[in-house]
Amino acid sequence: MQIRLTVNGEERVVETTATTRLLDLLRTDLKLTGTKEGCGKGECGACTVLLNGQLVASCLLLAPQADRAEIITIEGIGSAEGLDPIQESYLEAGAVQCGFCTPGMILASKKLLEENPRPTVEEIRRGLSGNLCRCTGYHKIIAAVRLSAQKMADKGEGKDE
Amino acid sequence: MKKRGRGIATIMFGFGYGEGFPDHSIAAIEIKEQGPILVKTAAADVGQGVLTVLTQIAAEVLRVAPDRIVLSAGDTALTKNAGSTSATRQTYFTGSAVQKAAEGVLALLYHYGSLALHCNHPELVVKDGRVYRYDRPDHFMSYQELARLAHEKGELLQAEASFFPRTDAPDPETGQGERVYVAYTFMTQIAEVEVDTATGLVEVLRFDTALDLGKALNPQAVEGQIEGGTVMGMGMALMEEQVIKAGITLNPDLTGYLIPTALDCPPFYSRLVENKDAAGPFGAKGIGEPVTIGATPALANAIYAAIGIRFFELPITPDKIIKALRQEQGTNG
Repeated sequence: MQIRLTVNGEERVVETTATTRLLDLLRTDLKLTGTKEGCGKGECGACTVLLNGQLVASCLLLAPQADRAEIITIEGIGSAEGLDPIQESYLEAGAVQCGFCTPGMILASKKLLEENPRPTVEEIRRGLSGNLCRCTGYHKIIAAVRLSAQKMADKGEGKDE
Repeated sequence: MKKRGRGIATIMFGFGYGEGFPDHSIAAIEIKEQGPILVKTAAADVGQGVLTVLTQIAAEVLRVAPDRIVLSAGDTALTKNAGSTSATRQTYFTGSAVQKAAEGVLALLYHYGSLALHCNHPELVVKDGRVYRYDRPDHFMSYQELARLAHEKGELLQAEASFFPRTDAPDPETGQGERVYVAYTFMTQIAEVEVDTATGLVEVLRFDTALDLGKALNPQAVEGQIEGGTVMGMGMALMEEQVIKAGITLNPDLTGYLIPTALDCPPFYSRLVENKDAAGPFGAKGIGEPVTIGATPALANAIYAAIGIRFFELPITPDKIIKALRQEQGTNG
């Protein structure tokens, strides 16, 4: 079967099957390997992507469920030349260790900051609680989100002037 | 009722395989006619940051910016044994091998530089990817040009080095030995908790760490390792429990086997004590395992300080706390 979806702003038409997971469509068919498979059962958040603006575990969705949807993966956030302020903040805060949780963490951070541009530490903890990390201890990830909020606020203020 | 308590744990940790095992690491560094400086190592980075630290060590010795270095990590066609990423050994062992290899390459830069510039090596400046005579800074040769000179002679601008320190097996009778491990890392941690006596939930409020690591090669990465390791120890203390029945793991997933999330983790305050007492690269010691070990006893002590009950079985889960509190009430009442 054929589905049509927008991935990172680009319209894609993909031949798939009724039992293909969205995660495999992204990683195998579209070669977008930034999205990671952790547990494969919706517990760890490594495969997080944005589907029509909502955080979803792409391992729990079937590809046909993404028909006509708009998907943002980590590849759609910033670029090697121009990092997103969230990515910049993760680097500066030392929030990346092995990096396996990072794509999902960054998408969860993005969603959190879209809904709540100045979150408290407690709100950041809650916003990231669906994404597990086994090597950082979360402290620097939380610091990175706070730094992102600051950077985005500074940028916003710059625009107003 | 919510009760607060603080607990402390102090450890010392001998790292590397020690005990006379042939623990060692081999690294090589090559400067080619083009492109960045290549560090060849089999050291595996699983998030602890050894590749960052190796890059820093090579850059420091070879007097270039870290972005001039690339690593061929994990490429078994190019690399020799670096030993395992375990036993808290990579910074110390592979870091030392990379440092020695970089010193070998530095010596070659002086060697070929003195041939090319017709002078003795003390007259040379080797810095920022260039070699020149003190009195003629404009007349320089790049490291890459010296690699070409070496190639014209049929040689490589490459050095390989091994780090192979001796350790002794401890006496089977006394457990003593002259040098059982290459060095020891010391750490003290204080955990502060709040125990809810109605639910048995333990909230970890903060963790303070003082870590004697010789020298922090990358302080931010050290903090990251302290925090990550402590959270693993916290998981062991409070929630992580593999349930096995008749050889089958009953909770082989992250819903049944809980690990700490962002909601469970406290703020961290870490102090790095730089007491150079070992022969690691620039005085650095290993920290990987030490930082996972102290958290569990510190938390058990903090829970004891909060509710006056000792637990001798991990993890100290809410149901165990409730059960113990009820038992105690029964005894007292």
